[in-house]
Amino acid sequence: MALQESPQLPDLSKYQALLIDDIPEMRSSSRIQLNDIGIQQCDTARNIKEAIDRISEKRYDLILSDYNLGQGADGQQLLELLRRRNQLPLTTVYLLITGETGYEQVSTAAEYAPDDYLIKPYTSYTLHTRLARIIDKKQTLKPVYQHLGPSGNKQKALEACDAVMASNPRYILDLTRIKGDVLLELKRFDEALALYQAMLAQRSTPWAEVGKARALIALEKEEEATAHLNRTLDAYPNYLAAYDLQAKLLEKTDKVAAQKLVERALKVAPSTQRQRQVGSLALENKDFTRAEEAFKRAVEKDKTGFFKSHDDYAGLAKSRMEQGKVDEALATIKEMGQSFRPSPELTVRQASVESLIHSKAGNEAAAKAALKKALDAGGSAASTDLSTSLELASACLAAGDEEHAQQIIHDVAADFQDNAAMMARVQAVYAEAGREEEGAAIIEQTRKEMIALNNNAVAMAQAGDLDKAAAMLDEAANRLQNNAQIALNAAILALRCVQQKGGSDELFAKAHRYIVQARRINPNIARLEDAMRLYAKLAPSTAPAMPTL
Amino acid sequence: MNPLVANTIHDIKNTMQVLVSALNQAQHENPSQDLSQALDATVRVGAQLVELLAIYRADQANLRLAIADHDLIDFCNDVCGELLLPKGQAERVKVDVSQAAMLGAWAFDAYQVKMTLQDALRNALRHSDGVVSLTVAPEPGGGIRFTVRDQGPGFPADILEGEQGTMQGSGSGLGLTFARLIAMHHNTPDGRSGRVELRNDDGALFSLVLP
Repeated sequence: MALQESPQLPDLSKYQALLIDDIPEMRSSSRIQLNDIGIQQCDTARNIKEAIDRISEKRYDLILSDYNLGQGADGQQLLELLRRRNQLPLTTVYLLITGETGYEQVSTAAEYAPDDYLIKPYTSYTLHTRLARIIDKKQTLKPVYQHLGPSGNKQKALEACDAVMASNPRYILDLTRIKGDVLLELKRFDEALALYQAMLAQRSTPWAEVGKARALIALEKEEEATAHLNRTLDAYPNYLAAYDLQAKLLEKTDKVAAQKLVERALKVAPSTQRQRQVGSLALENKDFTRAEEAFKRAVEKDKTGFFKSHDDYAGLAKSRMEQGKVDEALATIKEMGQSFRPSPELTVRQASVESLIHSKAGNEAAAKAALKKALDAGGSAASTDLSTSLELASACLAAGDEEHAQQIIHDVAADFQDNAAMMARVQAVYAEAGREEEGAAIIEQTRKEMIALNNNAVAMAQAGDLDKAAAMLDEAANRLQNNAQIALNAAILALRCVQQKGGSDELFAKAHRYIVQARRINPNIARLEDAMRLYAKLAPSTAPAMPTL
Repeated sequence: MNPLVANTIHDIKNTMQVLVSALNQAQHENPSQDLSQALDATVRVGAQLVELLAIYRADQANLRLAIADHDLIDFCNDVCGELLLPKGQAERVKVDVSQAAMLGAWAFDAYQVKMTLQDALRNALRHSDGVVSLTVAPEPGGGIRFTVRDQGPGFPADILEGEQGTMQGSGSGLGLTFARLIAMHHNTPDGRSGRVELRNDDGALFSLVLP
């Protein structure tokens, strides 16, 4: 047969492979196939837990995982978990094995796709050719990969893309895709749009269609993006990234439509994360039966415990509470305590929801007792996560503890002031208690305080009292870990101190820390780049290096 | 189709896959003409069952395609390399990827398109002698065209006239129905769709055009 040669497979005798399958026969037949292609060193894992243990101990060159791993978990979820935890180097090959009825879920995975997938039954020949191609591709794209990641130099990544495209046009689509992502990250939205449009003029491909929509959204052409995503979903009804993006748009304007869309995505690929999303939207839409069903699935599907979160149990308890199923709601809270490792965060969350349930059922004393437990466990501390804080605030309102409710809403409003989506959730706490105006007043008061804080610091600095101004902003930036504006102002002030009084290790470390903090919270905040440039200009080579944009 | 029938087909298909693996292993260890023919027949039955299930899923509005980019040289090589043909047949298949490098990669469902083209290749091998070729080329006006060409007597007139039938000669017509279904499920946001074309030109030409 006149077959073209596949890329040569390198010597795999030193390759470290991990084989994950819950069925012993499959493990042994896959092991034989790996041996056939020259891989001798192969560890095995029977489930997610074993796999994570192995991967934590050792660096693998190849991970070959079955899609179905039992216990309600799958190889795609494992991949997502490993990527989120940064436990999977870009050089490691991740291959998924699926049946002929499950492959479309794997190949249309939205955010984290495996390097490739093999459909059963497959031969050693197929395994060999696929692996050779992936290794060739990873090797060819290495000059690009080294500039990707959070601390990479994105400009250099773009240059590397162009260089590899010129020398090796075989991977032009992969490189164009990376270029589009990088241009969007660099906020060069017009260029990104032009790149996607040029690609789409030649051929349609799902990622370029979604890329175009992302660029349109960034350019504030949301209507055009929505229409484009609708057409994309008509043509590619299984492309999950299109659902995710469209759902994000709809969540801002029409939560009922957003819920319907996520339900459609759930039919394409059932995942714990999408069940949770449907549950949350259904709760907001007061569709409590559906919310209960979705959260129940999220809780019950995952028997491994790696994928469910406090939110799933809290959501399930609240959806039951809203339907008057008090005993079931309380049982859910109890079960929540048995499903996670004990922590103050867990205690606060459990006790807050428990207090809400008792309040709703008219059990005042029990509500107050649970609320006390939540507050005693540190529930009003700034370190508490937003969902927990808001549930605690709701519990305070329901149990008549006005003082704590106001304090919590004030603190989170100060912290999340720049984040419109989070602020909408903050506003909802008082609104749901039928006291929208009171909530709005607290939020407005907090906004004014923040403006006053910034203005006072600026005035002090202008009057020459840099130290006092810096102390004020330092305190605020350290307290408000989610307020980008405060962090950025604290960084700029630290740099001004350097300019006026000379630099010190401490000042540069502080400026660096605040810039990184501001960028983490909101990479698009105005004047961030000015601050980064100023830092780069002033900082000596011994100071912490600034990740380039 | 009755769900019981569909479930049964699914079970038989899985059993056939076990059989394919066993025969493949046996052929690997002790090659023989009989094993080779048994393997060929089993692969064909397995493929037909997969096609039947796809048609069932389409009826239930549940046929899900996974559209992603695939390098066309690699893909054409896979289509032919994974055919599992009996001895003497594999040598008759030629792949022409001379235009594939220019096209690079294209977005389509590799699994279903592979099934379609392998079915067309097996049909062509069965109904002709001599070389059977698979080519891919750009389609004027946008899209790509896969063509399977043989040197046999060509498609019968009733097939060319569009009546439901087999790709060639007698049979159930499953292959062509499946091919048209898969073509039809390939769409683009600007409203273009895939299609199947059959014609005769010193042999039979089966084309799958994807948008």
